[in-house]
Amino acid sequence: MASASLSSNIPSRAQILSLLRSLLRTARQFPDYNIREYTKRRAIDAFRHNQNLTDQASIASAYSDGKAQLEIAKRQAIVYSLYAPNIKSVMDLKL
Amino acid sequence: MTSKLIASSLRQQLAKSAHQFHRQLLSTAAAAAVPAPAEPQHHGDSTGIMMKGVKISGRPLYLDVQATSPVDPRVLDAMLPYYMSRFGNPHSRTHMYGWESDLAVENARAQVASLVGASPKEIVFTSGATESNNISIKGVMHFYKDKKKHVITTQTEHKCVLDSCRHLQQEGFDITYLPVGSDGIIDLEKLRSAIRPDTGLVSVMAVNNEIGVVQPVEEIGKICKEFNVPFHTDAAQALGKIPLDVEKWNVSLMSLSGHKIYGPKGVGALYLRRRPRIRVEPQMNGGGQERGIRSGTVPTPLVVGFGAACELAMKEMEYDDKRISALQERLLNGIREKLDGVVVNGSMERRYAGNLNLSFAYVEGESLLMGLKEVAVSSGSACTSASLEPSYVLRALGVDEDMAHTSIRFGIGRFTTEAEIDRAIDLTVHQVQKLREMSPLYEMVKEGINIKDIQWAQH
Repeated sequence: MASASLSSNIPSRAQILSLLRSLLRTARQFPDYNIREYTKRRAIDAFRHNQNLTDQASIASAYSDGKAQLEIAKRQAIVYSLYAPNIKSVMDLKL
Repeated sequence: MTSKLIASSLRQQLAKSAHQFHRQLLSTAAAAAVPAPAEPQHHGDSTGIMMKGVKISGRPLYLDVQATSPVDPRVLDAMLPYYMSRFGNPHSRTHMYGWESDLAVENARAQVASLVGASPKEIVFTSGATESNNISIKGVMHFYKDKKKHVITTQTEHKCVLDSCRHLQQEGFDITYLPVGSDGIIDLEKLRSAIRPDTGLVSVMAVNNEIGVVQPVEEIGKICKEFNVPFHTDAAQALGKIPLDVEKWNVSLMSLSGHKIYGPKGVGALYLRRRPRIRVEPQMNGGGQERGIRSGTVPTPLVVGFGAACELAMKEMEYDDKRISALQERLLNGIREKLDGVVVNGSMERRYAGNLNLSFAYVEGESLLMGLKEVAVSSGSACTSASLEPSYVLRALGVDEDMAHTSIRFGIGRFTTEAEIDRAIDLTVHQVQKLREMSPLYEMVKEGINIKDIQWAQH
């Protein structure tokens, strides 16, 4: 992981971890079982996939991509909550 | 002692009646104040609902992505602005509303084109793969009807291709329906020998919708090039799932669909090669949109969604494919571990992993499907699932009547989880075992009697 850089474009380790946490928090707000699980899984897998990035430009671009995804997730979590069906997925029911 | 007892019971009685009184008061007050809830669509939210005479406790887990896929939230996010302020008609040339819609449509066209390796100019937006197939088959043959009279297709095509061909047949065209092997793949030599001087089109689908086998499209393209016959492929089930390249495949026309790749329903596209140019007779006449090939206002939100879905598919193809292959393996192994007499329909090697079509011996398919209330699967194509007839695709493969009746198509997609696969395995195994316990045939097989040798009495 890149050490703290003078350039403001390069995100710090704390910023990156905070982005992941925000993504996971937003994912939990999806009432839809499949979308919720996917958002969680996709975020974790993407961060894992990018954890060995060393090139500063690609770190910055991955970070800004993640930021954009977070904005989409935030908006869509609201839309999905507005139209949540009355009946939950069988996967969300206690057996 | 006794007085103490009497006192305590008395106290209890008093408390109970007071409580009851209180409750009564409350309930009447509530009844007076709050009107009866309007139209209880779903009665009993905790115990589930009744639909079509089936009690449903929760939304079933979805394993039918070949029928349609859920819209990806990222796709919906791209679409929503075009349902609100940006509502302009993309063909309006005189104001900003039109221009911004037009930009969005052209951007989507480029997104679709880049997923299939085409030029944006070669993409025509339609209402879906059915319309694209109709334009391809009827449009091409009608345009070249003076010289070309013959179409080659396969027995396992989608209904809309077969029906378009039947329509042409009634107009006097000649159609060859190529048979497929037991693995669902066509024989290239048979294709080669079926081509005639007046063959105007070869139409073979890339990925089969029912059994998921992948045809050797590249080789078919080569043969068509050799004989200089236009090649059409229905790639609705292939788009975004297997790498797709119009140059490598040498296709002249290709049908694409939006709702199979986590995009919206009601939109699709037709790829039309420019060099060498293939021409079609439009099936829809009107305002001359889409270069006159498909008149009618282009639905901006849907097209934007389709474009976004294509771009996503390009980014996610590798990730999705890895996951889906692992889930398919998990599903197949999980079922095979606990059940015997499970047959995969279609080739296992040349197959798209997201489609697993299984037949369960000695089980009646409809009972199995009805028993699997909590798993949304189908016996084959959604288009033909209303009929009790076994699938024509499976019959073309030479699957025995009894096995064709028990087929179930499990469709695994981007949003399927491991937990869903495990639940599907449990439910399927449980249901099959239950049905087999009731089946006299299964008992006889267990005793070592060959079912095929039984002489059924005629009454």
